Amino acid sequence: MTAETTLLLVLLGLLAGGFGALAGVGGGIIITPLLAIYFGLPMHQAIGVSLVCVIATSTATSSLYVERHITDIRLGMTLELATTFGAMIAALVAQHINRRTLALLFACFLLYSCLSMARKAWSKRTQEKEEEVLPDYQPQNYPLGMGAALIAGGFSGLLGIGGGPVKVPVMYLFMKVPLRVATATSNFMIGVTAATSAYVYWGRGDVAIAVAAPLVAGVFAGSLAGARFSARVKPLYILLLLVAVTGWLAAEMILKLLSRGFR
Amino acid sequence: MNRDVAADHLLALTLKAGAYTAFALIVAGLMCSAISAPAAEIVTKIGVLVLLATPALRIVVAAIQFLRERDTKFVLISLGVLCVVALAFFLGVEV
Repeated sequence: MTAETTLLLVLLGLLAGGFGALAGVGGGIIITPLLAIYFGLPMHQAIGVSLVCVIATSTATSSLYVERHITDIRLGMTLELATTFGAMIAALVAQHINRRTLALLFACFLLYSCLSMARKAWSKRTQEKEEEVLPDYQPQNYPLGMGAALIAGGFSGLLGIGGGPVKVPVMYLFMKVPLRVATATSNFMIGVTAATSAYVYWGRGDVAIAVAAPLVAGVFAGSLAGARFSARVKPLYILLLLVAVTGWLAAEMILKLLSRGFR
Repeated sequence: MNRDVAADHLLALTLKAGAYTAFALIVAGLMCSAISAPAAEIVTKIGVLVLLATPALRIVVAAIQFLRERDTKFVLISLGVLCVVALAFFLGVEV
């Protein structure tokens, strides 16, 4: 690997980690397609490397939330029973899916995320203020929560993402957990979930260290900086930026699929 | 809302230690490779391995903390999660 490529990867990691921490998504949604489209990595390797970056984001930022007592450790640990199981199964299944099918699945996921973030941005024009003091709560509806966690884990193992967008709404809406706690707890679970699938990808030789290391270095620095500044940046702008980036990446992936790429 | 302050502190410390150790090793490895020092590759690899091992370590630390609090239910839950993670590790090598 040339020095220029390594530097470029560090920079990409910085951006993905920074925006990830600001927007509350774990960079995986950006890193997998970038590696597959522009760096010519096979889908399985792009996912394996992305999982390592997701672990980096989760580990770096979740320590901050745990320290501030926002994370619900017991709830997280319980749901992890399901996320890790889903992640393991999906990672094993992914080894038998061909590259083009994986790319197609990922393109669909990008398109869906782009649209749902656009909708969120539209409803967020009127800024809602988050509660400062955490209210008392008792997590409810564990069966539904475990089901959602299983699916989130599956997405993580199959696509190399964190799966936060699946878990957070279910915890918030159906388990009656405050939004801040749900976000922090989801972030906390992502490290263990991504590690579970990463072990499977590692065993298959799909974690390219030469690509993962510079990205991770950038992601660490970026996500820590992002977490520190998150209070000062308007979430709406970050959201709009992510809508644009995911929309662009989805279009690029579909174009490459149509021109018989990703083989 | 009452959080277990001691447990939170211990877990945050584990995550931080893992994250910063991995970060330091990876940066050191990348710098070594920039001046083409011989140890570059192995240092970088150990850094990535530390990062991959941190989540598993975090489960063990939580299990120990639950054990100290005599919270049997959550000791078992933590061990269950650890079993799934370990299974994934061995299946990944086997497949």
